[in-house]
Amino acid sequence: MRVTSPIIAARGLTLILGQTEILKGIDLEVGAGETLALLGPSGSGKSSLMAVLSGLDRATGGELSVAGENFPALDEDALARARRGRIGIVLQAFHLLPTMTARENVATPLELAGVPRAWDRAAQELTAVGLGHRLDHYPAQLSGGEQQRVAIARALAPRPALLFADEPTGNLDAATGAQIIDLLFRRRLADAVPSGSVTTLLIITHDPDLAARCSRVVTLGDGRIVSDVWT
Amino acid sequence: MTSPGEGLPGAGPIPWATAWRLARRGLSARFKGLRLLLVCLFLGVGALAAIGTLTGSIERELAARGRAILGGDLELEVWQRDLTAAERAALDALGTVSIGTRLQAMASAGDLAAPVQLKAVDGRWPLVGQLRLQDGQLAGAPPAGTAWMSEGAMERLGLRVGDSFTLGTAKLRAGGIIADEPDRLGEGFAWGPPVIVGAQMPGAAGLIAPGSQYRTRARVSFREPYNPEAAATALKARFPSAGFSVRTRDKAAPGTERFVTRMGEFLVLVGLAALVIAGIGIGLGVSSWLESRRGAIATLKVLGATSRDIARITVLEVGAAALVGSVAGLLAGVLVTPLLARALGGLLPVAEGFVIDGTALLRAGAYGLLVALVFTALPLARARAFPAMALMRARVSELRLEWRYALLPAAAGLALIAALALATAAQPVVTAWFLAGAVGVLALLGLLGRALQYGLARLPSPHRPLLRAALANLHRPGNQTGALVTALGFGLSAFVLLAAVQSSLDANIAGRVPARAPDFFVLDIPRERADQFVAAVRQTAPAARVRTVPNLRGAILAYGPPGRMVRVAELKEQPAGAWALRGERGLTYAADLPEGNVLTAGTWWTTGYSGPPLVSVDVNLAEALGLRLGDRISVSLLGVERTANIASLRRIDWDSLGFNYVLVFSPNAIADAPHNLAATIDLPAGSSTGGLLRRLVRAFPSSSVVETGAVLRDARALLDQMSLAILAAASVAVLAGLAVLLGAVAAARAARTYDTVILRVLGAGRAQVLLVQVFEYAVLGAILAAVALPLGSAIGWAIIVKLFEFEWLPDWGTILAVLAAGLALVLGFALTASLPVLRARPARVLREL
Repeated sequence: MRVTSPIIAARGLTLILGQTEILKGIDLEVGAGETLALLGPSGSGKSSLMAVLSGLDRATGGELSVAGENFPALDEDALARARRGRIGIVLQAFHLLPTMTARENVATPLELAGVPRAWDRAAQELTAVGLGHRLDHYPAQLSGGEQQRVAIARALAPRPALLFADEPTGNLDAATGAQIIDLLFRRRLADAVPSGSVTTLLIITHDPDLAARCSRVVTLGDGRIVSDVWT
Repeated sequence: MTSPGEGLPGAGPIPWATAWRLARRGLSARFKGLRLLLVCLFLGVGALAAIGTLTGSIERELAARGRAILGGDLELEVWQRDLTAAERAALDALGTVSIGTRLQAMASAGDLAAPVQLKAVDGRWPLVGQLRLQDGQLAGAPPAGTAWMSEGAMERLGLRVGDSFTLGTAKLRAGGIIADEPDRLGEGFAWGPPVIVGAQMPGAAGLIAPGSQYRTRARVSFREPYNPEAAATALKARFPSAGFSVRTRDKAAPGTERFVTRMGEFLVLVGLAALVIAGIGIGLGVSSWLESRRGAIATLKVLGATSRDIARITVLEVGAAALVGSVAGLLAGVLVTPLLARALGGLLPVAEGFVIDGTALLRAGAYGLLVALVFTALPLARARAFPAMALMRARVSELRLEWRYALLPAAAGLALIAALALATAAQPVVTAWFLAGAVGVLALLGLLGRALQYGLARLPSPHRPLLRAALANLHRPGNQTGALVTALGFGLSAFVLLAAVQSSLDANIAGRVPARAPDFFVLDIPRERADQFVAAVRQTAPAARVRTVPNLRGAILAYGPPGRMVRVAELKEQPAGAWALRGERGLTYAADLPEGNVLTAGTWWTTGYSGPPLVSVDVNLAEALGLRLGDRISVSLLGVERTANIASLRRIDWDSLGFNYVLVFSPNAIADAPHNLAATIDLPAGSSTGGLLRRLVRAFPSSSVVETGAVLRDARALLDQMSLAILAAASVAVLAGLAVLLGAVAAARAARTYDTVILRVLGAGRAQVLLVQVFEYAVLGAILAAVALPLGSAIGWAIIVKLFEFEWLPDWGTILAVLAAGLALVLGFALTASLPVLRARPARVLREL
């Protein structure tokens, strides 16, 4: 199925690390507002593909346009600036900044992007994920589920056009994981992003139930797309 | 085509205000992770601040209390005579005048005798300040028959207040003990503790006669606000042949001032070297802190921070910690200064209480921050390159060395350190050599560290697994061996150096000097009693070797070819090496070439020579002044100018430690001037000196007898005090080295914990794991000893042999003991710091891995 006005357009993406070819020619288009689950066994290249698509890593070859930016033409710093306010990332291990409170963690991307009233916005975001009473708590004082909520609030605070989530429930028990997924899907719809659409969600998971909630499921195997199914 | 980053939101780096907000969040209140930086800067800056504050405080006190130290606005000194009426009138015209005399004398009480510095003062003394006695009494000149005694004089003579003692032919009462003598520092150096008596006493006791070695000192308290320098110049111009030594309140104690400035400068350089060691710790601390911050930096990059943003944030974080460490060091420096002042024991004037010396503190702070800049530039530049991908992939490729970002700040920091050191140096050449030497030693140690790692990695693996693991720790990736060899090697080398220098000087003083120096120096032997003197010595010590020489004093007034002589008073600057032009010097005459002297040019005068006055000049002085045979020298002798032709040049063996004179005249040139004799006495080895001392004091009450042993004890005490100051400054280097060691142990703790846990899972006991650490640090200690011993000894040899021109007589036992103590300290610290690794619980660590 051909995607009109794609927010991600990748053609022939390759990634070689040392002697190892991780991605072997990925063609993928993702439309604005889609929810896409990326499935595949360990070592199939899911995380690497997400890193390339989010600008954390640079492809060895191929073409890639993300949110209108020609990623291969950007250096590492330009990629960082491209992420500001446009791309949110949620990781399995949360990766909150340990020396900052929940509110400071959420305010940081807003401040980096020069968003006014970042401090108030951070409080609103945390209240929206049910942590209004934990604003001044440090990550070490929060449970795993609470930490992931802070990570989601942080990723979504700048209203990004794209949200990447790498196994966001991998470190959580089943019940907490389900709550987090609900939150993720609910919050991405909460506010319209500047382009007028809702946040596009690209999620890496091993969980078939979670994949079933997405509008599209792409499966990777040995660095290639082996199936691309619209649900 | 759009260029990278163009048109993206916030294309520039984040504003400094935002960077500071993020940096503040990154810093924990207790500076966790940056404590090594804090401690190292604290130590280095604290040492420099203390040294600078103390030195500055002494210098300022010397300047501020110049009038009190001098005892007036101007002091005029002449040797072996009183002031003439015209001279006295000229001084009276300036203001209130106090006149007194100074001379060496022998005091005795019962069987005890001691040389004292006799200070005879008139009723106007002191013109400035007040003399305070230990009983609280404020006093001026003592009443007739009474003396104010220093504590040292009371001790040496075994006296209590009220007891009697003999000075010359007079019997005096010890009227009180001096607690505070306002002009003590301006009195200069003398053999023996001071005793103050009334102005008439020396004459009445037969201590002053024509030719006696006494000085008349006149102090003036200006009536009008004259310029002291202008007044001094006018006096010298009015009495060109008088041979005045004039001091003014601006330079009341020039010798002390010069000593304090040079000692302070030397200690600052030692402190700076310690700070450089601390710099290694700073670099190490910041590197390991940044390593621990990799995740946070990567997270910030994921959130959109660029490498420039990261640079701004980390620079602010490290800068804040450096500032806190430096400010704490400055505070400590200020707080510790009163303690150091107390340790000086009133030897030098220091302002009471806390002293805030802005210049010294600014300089110490600047050194600290510049050293921090130099040593953190590279780790901070590397932090820019921490990839965001670190969060997603455990192993990332090796980081690039970001030299291009580090080179400019590091080079600028080094250049500024050198510029600051040279700009504030009183002796820039010495400072430049010191800096070059320190850089050379550090480079050498750095290379050694690298070579060791390279060599250890290529050694065949030992069969014993624990030894293998210990050796592997010294060259494994991420090891700190290089930094430790440099930092601890430098500190321990400093210890070896100090032990070598001190023990060599001690041995020279204890062994070599007495072997060559006479047992007694005797001053002011009446010329007509020379034979009686020799007989008196021989009666007590028949085998004694006695040498007497005529002893006069005079200042060089002019020198050069006839008709083109240079007046010393008109010299703008003294030629290098012409120290003999400064003030009065001992002069003598001799029929024969003095023992130990060798003629290098010209001929010695014949016995009974009666032609024009001749003089033989020290060849070094002749070279410094450009003098040749046939040139002339004029000296002031008892206020009369006398001129002689240079007949010969001599090389003097200064090491002979007897009486050596720069100028030796033909007898017909100066023998007519009133003068006394001086003598040296050499006793056969093992002779007792007490009997001779008592006999001489009784038989020659107006003479001063100085026992070399006592002088050497004084010299050694002075040396010990200087060594203590240097040791204190060098200890900062060792402390900084230990801080580096602790930092290195802490930095490697994660890897060590992992190794320990794996070893324990595989069945190793705690004792075996501890043994690995013991092996490792023992090998490191052996390496450090192998580095520090030759390096410290080599520099010590250079100082003793080349700088002091003494014999190299180190006490290897002391040196090895000092080194062993240093190594024990290192091992103790290292093992103690490693204990948490041993205590790690395998199950818990494995869960967290």
